[in-house]
Amino acid sequence: MEWGDCWLAPAPLQEGLAAEVRRGIGGILPGWAPRLAAVPWVVRANTRFVAVRFAYMPPALSSWINLVVSQDNSCRYCYGVTRALLKVLGYGDAQIDRIERDVHLADMARAEQAALEFARKVSHANPRPTPGERERLAQAGWAPAAIAEIAYAAASAGFPNRIATAFAIPPEPFERWAERPLARLVRPLLARRLRGRPAAPLIAPPPAGPCGDVISALGDSPGAQALRATIDEALASPVLPRRSKVLMLAVVGRALDCPRSEAEARAELGALGIEPAALERVLANLGGPELDRREAALVPFARETVRYQASALQRRTRALADVLSVAEVIEAVGIAALANVVARLSILLDRC
Amino acid sequence: MLSALLAATVVVLAAVAWRLGRRTRELRGRLARAAGELEALQHSFARFAPSEVVERIIAQGISTRSETKEVTVLFADLVGFTQVAEALPPDRLVALLNGYFAAMAEVAAAHRGHLAKFIGDGFLVLFGALEPNPWQTNDAVHAALAMRTALAAYNVRLRADGLPALTAGIGIHRGPVVAGVIGNAALMEYGVIGRTVNVAARVEGLTRVHATDVLVTEAVVAHLDGRFRLRRMPPAEVKGIPEPVVTFAVDGFEA
Repeated sequence: MEWGDCWLAPAPLQEGLAAEVRRGIGGILPGWAPRLAAVPWVVRANTRFVAVRFAYMPPALSSWINLVVSQDNSCRYCYGVTRALLKVLGYGDAQIDRIERDVHLADMARAEQAALEFARKVSHANPRPTPGERERLAQAGWAPAAIAEIAYAAASAGFPNRIATAFAIPPEPFERWAERPLARLVRPLLARRLRGRPAAPLIAPPPAGPCGDVISALGDSPGAQALRATIDEALASPVLPRRSKVLMLAVVGRALDCPRSEAEARAELGALGIEPAALERVLANLGGPELDRREAALVPFARETVRYQASALQRRTRALADVLSVAEVIEAVGIAALANVVARLSILLDRC
Repeated sequence: MLSALLAATVVVLAAVAWRLGRRTRELRGRLARAAGELEALQHSFARFAPSEVVERIIAQGISTRSETKEVTVLFADLVGFTQVAEALPPDRLVALLNGYFAAMAEVAAAHRGHLAKFIGDGFLVLFGALEPNPWQTNDAVHAALAMRTALAAYNVRLRADGLPALTAGIGIHRGPVVAGVIGNAALMEYGVIGRTVNVAARVEGLTRVHATDVLVTEAVVAHLDGRFRLRRMPPAEVKGIPEPVVTFAVDGFEA
């Protein structure tokens, strides 16, 4: 996998945030946390998406989904960490290789193979998975709540993938550590701690607020609360104007052929004072005189985060820093990554 | 006697087990190599066909399913290349052409175009064929302008090497095409067919009539960013299309 050099310098984390990250990620402070410190919600969101637990889907399946999605997104960082984690959990190189090459060759149940296949389609979104594909997952034995979590696992894995790729976050020392003889000895102990058990369902957030209907589709899965909190924090953050952020959501919605995401963003942009005709010009052309200097860079950038090659995304992210501050670039990547999660997840609302 | 027989049996069984183990390792190695090659092939092929088509081919064998898609087609051809070809020795000619194709392919990829085919000294680029792309038409016309710039830079190098400069004509049209894996067991490719492709090729031919390098059709203009600077050309008759074709020369883009 191509991977550049990270240009984000580590910075001190807001008080309490380092502890929050450590609590979420097995006592470790990963390398990305201090590099993203300028925008606390991005650090929190990455922690939530990396550490999310599921109520209806087997915990091991989420690691496999992370692996195939990271591989598809060519995320060197997430791929390396997930592969090392799978080895700690007791899976061998040969087994991991087989799943990477073809999920049908994997030593796993047909239902799990179908789940991985579906996760890949959610991640590709080329084209967007159809309700019929969700139906096939149900025929393979998955309950609706588990299907929603499989979609969430695939869509949300794209968040850390995009953050790590855009900034070329360097590989974690954990990758090398997992290969050392001492680590092999303590693997079984670690595996017990990391494997975990399914989480208890949580109270479903009310179906209101931005992206409320997509979040509602997750029901009482713990993912629903994680996504609700992330969207609210992202939109409330003062680093970039709300209008710029919603414009990025609209662009990603259009790129992923998600009329729901685009329509919701359009309604909000209308409320923020953008005329429908002017907005259509902006979305049709990814630019226009209606945009300020910052938005003129952010709107086309949002499109580049939907389907990308790692090196091109890293180059384009670096170019953003010519017109934006470091905090603005981090928030822009975070918003684009979040928009990709929501628009991909909205397949749960598509009807037959 | 019995113990000797037992020992011999153990030795034979151990030898068989060792050979079987070696054979299994060999087969596993071959399987891993084959899987690696298949993976590399899959990655390579994904550059030439939509990922869903590649997956279908891998899962079900050769796919014969085709679909109608709205795409933007860019057709480019070199003007007066026959004279250039006749004046150059074969190795210099091939090097010149390969350098030109390399420069154009880079531009096409940078604008999310899929270089579908080389046709002599011409080539066909598709926008919106491999992945859904709501900005396919703007991408195609931006690509054409970038090709103009890239060709100018390439011509500087050609002149420095004592080679003749090249002139290209580019025609762009948007419309429905039938896309799918076309060919037979011996030779096949992911391609598109239909009137849209023919119109793009005919419009490229009109660049000679209108003495310009980039021409687009009304169907393209209908989807185009208003910041492109266009000049309307007089309607022109082209082979195979009953009504005269209205085209627009693309002069530039007001950023």
